[in-house]
Amino acid sequence: MRSEPRDAAVQLAVDPVACDGIGICSHLAPDVVAMDSWGFPVLSGEGLRGARLGQAERVVAACPRRALFLRRG
Amino acid sequence: MTHPLRLVGPEERPDAAPTTGPLEGLGVLDVAVRFPRLGSEVSSDAVRHDLRHHEHSFGPRRPQADGGARLLRDLQHVGLTGRGGGHFPSARKWQAVRDGGGGAVVVVNGAEGEPCSAKDAAVLQYRPHLVLDGAQAAAEVVGADDVVVWLHEGADATRRSVEQAVLERRATGRGDAVVHVRTGPAHYLSGESSAVVRGLSGGPVLPEFRRVPTAVSGVHGRATLLSNVETFARAALVDRTGAHAYRAATLLTVLGRSDRVVVELTPQHTLADAVALQWPADSAAPSAVLLGGYGGVWARWDDVAALRVDEPAARATGRSLGAGIVAPLPARRCGLGETARILAYLAASSAQQCGPCMFGLPAVADLVAALVAGPLGRGDRRRLDRFLAEVDGRGGCHLPDGAVRLAVTALEVFADDVAVHARRGRCLHGDAGGLGAVVPVPDAG
Repeated sequence: MRSEPRDAAVQLAVDPVACDGIGICSHLAPDVVAMDSWGFPVLSGEGLRGARLGQAERVVAACPRRALFLRRG
Repeated sequence: MTHPLRLVGPEERPDAAPTTGPLEGLGVLDVAVRFPRLGSEVSSDAVRHDLRHHEHSFGPRRPQADGGARLLRDLQHVGLTGRGGGHFPSARKWQAVRDGGGGAVVVVNGAEGEPCSAKDAAVLQYRPHLVLDGAQAAAEVVGADDVVVWLHEGADATRRSVEQAVLERRATGRGDAVVHVRTGPAHYLSGESSAVVRGLSGGPVLPEFRRVPTAVSGVHGRATLLSNVETFARAALVDRTGAHAYRAATLLTVLGRSDRVVVELTPQHTLADAVALQWPADSAAPSAVLLGGYGGVWARWDDVAALRVDEPAARATGRSLGAGIVAPLPARRCGLGETARILAYLAASSAQQCGPCMFGLPAVADLVAALVAGPLGRGDRRRLDRFLAEVDGRGGCHLPDGAVRLAVTALEVFADDVAVHARRGRCLHGDAGGLGAVVPVPDAG
């Protein structure tokens, strides 16, 4: 389940040290964030556009731990 | 302080006289050094090279004449890579720190996280000046005023040698970078690069997720060149010899029944040569070998006995020498049992910062322990495979990745054992538990 950068476009990324597995992200952005067996976000590392990029931007702002961020290029 | 030299290894040298031969004959460590199965207190009498002895062998170090451009080219030309286990190209790392434009910090990482590794302790205890030469050359190339030598607490013999070396150099009055010796707690992660940077910046010695590379912003936000002890020693050799005369070599820690031996081998040697140092000539060949330590890979002995001691050669087979640990498994011992013990240690060594590691690693370790005890419950093997996939690559540091590598290669290499344990709860080798661990595992601290 390694998430390697696969696209030069904007990707959603997580700081796993900051993440506490609160899980708001997968509720707000089910098309972008999956959950592992323990409730921590799994990100595909693919480039995001359109509605999915909008979801990603929302969860970056919504994460109580500020653990999510957008990576460009 | 000359002790009679007790030498073991392929290139035995019967006396302790300073080496005065041609430079290309010199490696980082021209003697073999023996350690107990765990710990960094040496158990053999090799001779420590003080500054006089060191300069007698190598001649005095010359400061970079051209701002370091030649050394950078030479590092790239010989393809030097980091010997802490990651094998990142040194020239690229040095260049990235140098691009920061000065005010950098050089960190010599001597906190060997892998408990079976002793090569850095050997180098710092016997050839400390080669390491400090490399660190000083690095300081000149990347523009650093400070060098930090980072060690485990309690690594007293190593620390004494480094501090003595610093005093010897200070007495010469050369205007080298200031060398600071700092220590962190002796646990698996305190040599992890981001944990070192975090600790040196005043935080806890635990990994952190770095959105900006350490080379750009590391210790207290300064550009930081952090590399393994052996890497600096090799850089010092490249600096001395130039690329044309540099001899590629690798320090290995080879585990035996009663001790470990640290030796320097070249790509002309094979893993069989390394293991022969610790293997009774009249006994059956090992069945498998653990390469690179707890976070390394298992390999069938027949697949790797002829492998050259050379990271590019190992990579060509999809493996890595990691930090140079070679642990042979006797034919009648159970590699799965070894793996279960190591996984329990790794799970207990987690910094408990990242969910997949905090929850996933104990789950993996428990399932492998259940597999060893056998028979395995319905769906357990599927769960184990799923957890391994879910943990891989998802921590802030590489501890979980190493654990996954260990487990995945164990399941593959010991597939026959897996089948018997899982179905019948029996071990092909009889219960080897009473014989003690082949690969020693400390208490997780």
